[in-house]
Amino acid sequence: MYEGRYSRAMCRGCAVPSVETMTTDPFDLDHDRAPLAARVDGLFKTYGSGDGVVHALDGVSIGIRRGELTAIMGPSGSGKSTLMHIMAGLDRPTSGRAWLADTEITTLDDLALTELRRRRIGFVFQAFNLVPTLDALDNIRLPFELDGRRPTAEEAERIEAIIESLGLGERLRHRPHQLSGGQQQRVAIARALATQPDLVFADEPTGNLDSRSGREVLALLAAAVRDRGQTIAMVTHDPVAASHADRVVFLADGRIAADKPRQSAEQIAAHMLAADQVAA
Amino acid sequence: MSASTGAAASWRERGTGASVLVAGISSAFGVLILTGVGYLTAIISADPTVGDVRAVRYTLSILGTVILGVSVFVAAVVTANTFATIVAGRTRQIALMRLIGSSARTERRRVAGRGLAVGAVGAAAGLVAGIGLSYVLVAVLRGYLSPEAVSGVTYRVLQPSLLLPAGVVVLTTWAAAWVGSRRVLTVTPLQALASSTDRTTADVRHPVRTVISFVAIGIGAALLAAGIVVGLADPGGMVVAFSGGVVSFTGIVVGSVVLMPPVLRLTGRAFGSGVTARMAAQNALRYPERSARMTIGVVIGVTLVTLLAVASESTKAVLASASGGTLDPALDEAMNVTSAIMMSLVGVSAVIAAVGLVDLLTIGIVQRRRELGLLRSLGLSRPQANRMVLLEATHVAFTAVVVGVLLGIGYGWAAAQSMLGSVVGANVEEGHTLVLPAVPWLTVAVIAAAAAVLTLAAAAVPSRLATRVSPVEALAAT
Ligand SMILES: Nc1ncnc2c1ncn2[C@@H]1O[C@H](COP(=O)(O)OP(=O)(O)OP(=O)(O)O)[C@@H](O)[C@H]1O
Ligand SMILES: [Mg+2]
Repeated sequence: MYEGRYSRAMCRGCAVPSVETMTTDPFDLDHDRAPLAARVDGLFKTYGSGDGVVHALDGVSIGIRRGELTAIMGPSGSGKSTLMHIMAGLDRPTSGRAWLADTEITTLDDLALTELRRRRIGFVFQAFNLVPTLDALDNIRLPFELDGRRPTAEEAERIEAIIESLGLGERLRHRPHQLSGGQQQRVAIARALATQPDLVFADEPTGNLDSRSGREVLALLAAAVRDRGQTIAMVTHDPVAASHADRVVFLADGRIAADKPRQSAEQIAAHMLAADQVAA
Repeated sequence: MSASTGAAASWRERGTGASVLVAGISSAFGVLILTGVGYLTAIISADPTVGDVRAVRYTLSILGTVILGVSVFVAAVVTANTFATIVAGRTRQIALMRLIGSSARTERRRVAGRGLAVGAVGAAAGLVAGIGLSYVLVAVLRGYLSPEAVSGVTYRVLQPSLLLPAGVVVLTTWAAAWVGSRRVLTVTPLQALASSTDRTTADVRHPVRTVISFVAIGIGAALLAAGIVVGLADPGGMVVAFSGGVVSFTGIVVGSVVLMPPVLRLTGRAFGSGVTARMAAQNALRYPERSARMTIGVVIGVTLVTLLAVASESTKAVLASASGGTLDPALDEAMNVTSAIMMSLVGVSAVIAAVGLVDLLTIGIVQRRRELGLLRSLGLSRPQANRMVLLEATHVAFTAVVVGVLLGIGYGWAAAQSMLGSVVGANVEEGHTLVLPAVPWLTVAVIAAAAAVLTLAAAAVPSRLATRVSPVEALAAT
């Protein structure tokens, strides 16, 4: 079944490359080098109508390469969260298609999408990541529990290793309100990594933290990519955070404005400044 | 942003809407009781065979006042709880007002003012409805009573005294809103800025309340036991047991915020160890005080209904065995009618409490919209979300009903035993009768069905929310 989806999806993608595909060169079709964990093709997302219409996404095509930390940057309102939500099966595009690995998700019904999020996607949001009535360990195990099962021996071992590497051992039986903001984010990261998903989405994961906890959280995300081969897509406004990424994608007005390999914080800041001046 | 404030506004309306309904039912009920007592007194006064009219009138008035008092009390608890819940959900907005310079007292007065408006609207509507129903009541009674009894009796439904219950309801609603808005004073301007995690109030202690409640329960239980012992020799044991019942039940109501949470914790375990079940069970304990007050009204109503049913059923059983097996059909009929009337009168407070329970559960779940969005994004399916909401409603509604039924059986048995322990009959043991608590299964079945309806009603709005809300929208809500 996956085979079928895969070949059909790829053929469509190859046979009719859209205009956006050509101009922004978002697909890395060179599979030998880095297969794609997720990709989208010709995404449009429009809110409202008439004079008040907002094009949150205005023809976006991009692939997220497996085993990489991809930073998504851009000014407020440029469509970063919208793009992430559609890629993660949380929202539907007005038009265009999205795949997670070889599964086309834009055609899935709600239940299939829910199960896909549960099993194959991890999330770290800016805040309110944890269920307040569950302790840290139950929060980490939540995706398994929602799937109606206990983690297998192998998964339990992995969870234990993650907990260890995130330094959460002491806090497992604490409720979220007994944890600091940084600890809460670490619990959220542990949960996102626990199922070893195809892709972890992090929307401004350090946005609510002081700079030191923020650095720690970033280092943990980068380590998950390096040590576990985890694929992560991270939205951030912080050039220093983005400098940890293998690739930096810039959005502006719902389009991909630039797509660059690893950058230093200075280079990123310079690019942001230039973009601001163009806009002004 | 406009979507979220719009939603908040409509939920605010929901809370006040239910409070209007509660005030309306109370005041209509008060009007009906006044009419019923007034009309019966008029009929009895016209009957030359009845001697002491004043004593009858006095008894009827006391009975009416007690029944009305219970329902007004339940209504006040419901209203105070509703306002406290609304305030909790609006902490951020209140904090914002504080931040831009409004004083806590002004904010609290604003909330209480709403209570006054709610009480006035509800009481006025209830007054009108109550007067309409009073005409129906008089017509029904006239049809039911014998023609000789009602002939020549003229009764004017419209009387100035009918304004009394409406006035009482306005004042109690206002007072309840004032009590419920106490928490406004604890909101600091800083809370507008903090995006802190939802904090539960699990560790609130009530030392004074606990002591008062436990002492009352202890004294009441001792009096109940004494009443039962005395009752073995003399029907006067009933008086002792009655005072014991009032004292101990008051203790339970006063101590509900201490007593109900452990019970809820216990019943929550019955739902199993799946994560949706555990989350549903935990939700009732998130604000233990709120849940306790939400359930105690239902407990009061159900206890009283069950008590009446069990006492009457047990009495019938003892009288039947004392008179050699079967009860005189006329007596049976009279007892059935009396207990049915009493049960439906007392049942009104259960209905008021049920309105409050549905409303509070709904507001409580709706206020957790963002959390629902988080769970949906992490992989909670729509059926799972529905199940969680339904379990939460079942947990709270059935716990309240089961506690009420058990208490009612206990009190009902104590009443029957203390009154009939000295009756010599079939179950004679050294000259005493041991009354077995006769459980009226029909009543219990009706109560169980009502609990199921209550559960579904309480789950209706939240399930719609759980299935319709998109995770993105819920996550974006502040
Ligand atoms: N539900 C909605 N209704 C109307 N417009 C919306 C809605 N959601 C997003 N938008 C609009 O779509 C555009 C993109 O929003 P999005 O949240 O993706 O931006 P973002 O890049 O994540 O911004 P930020 O950095 O502030 O988080 C914005 O102009 C926003 O106002
Ligand atoms: Mg965003």
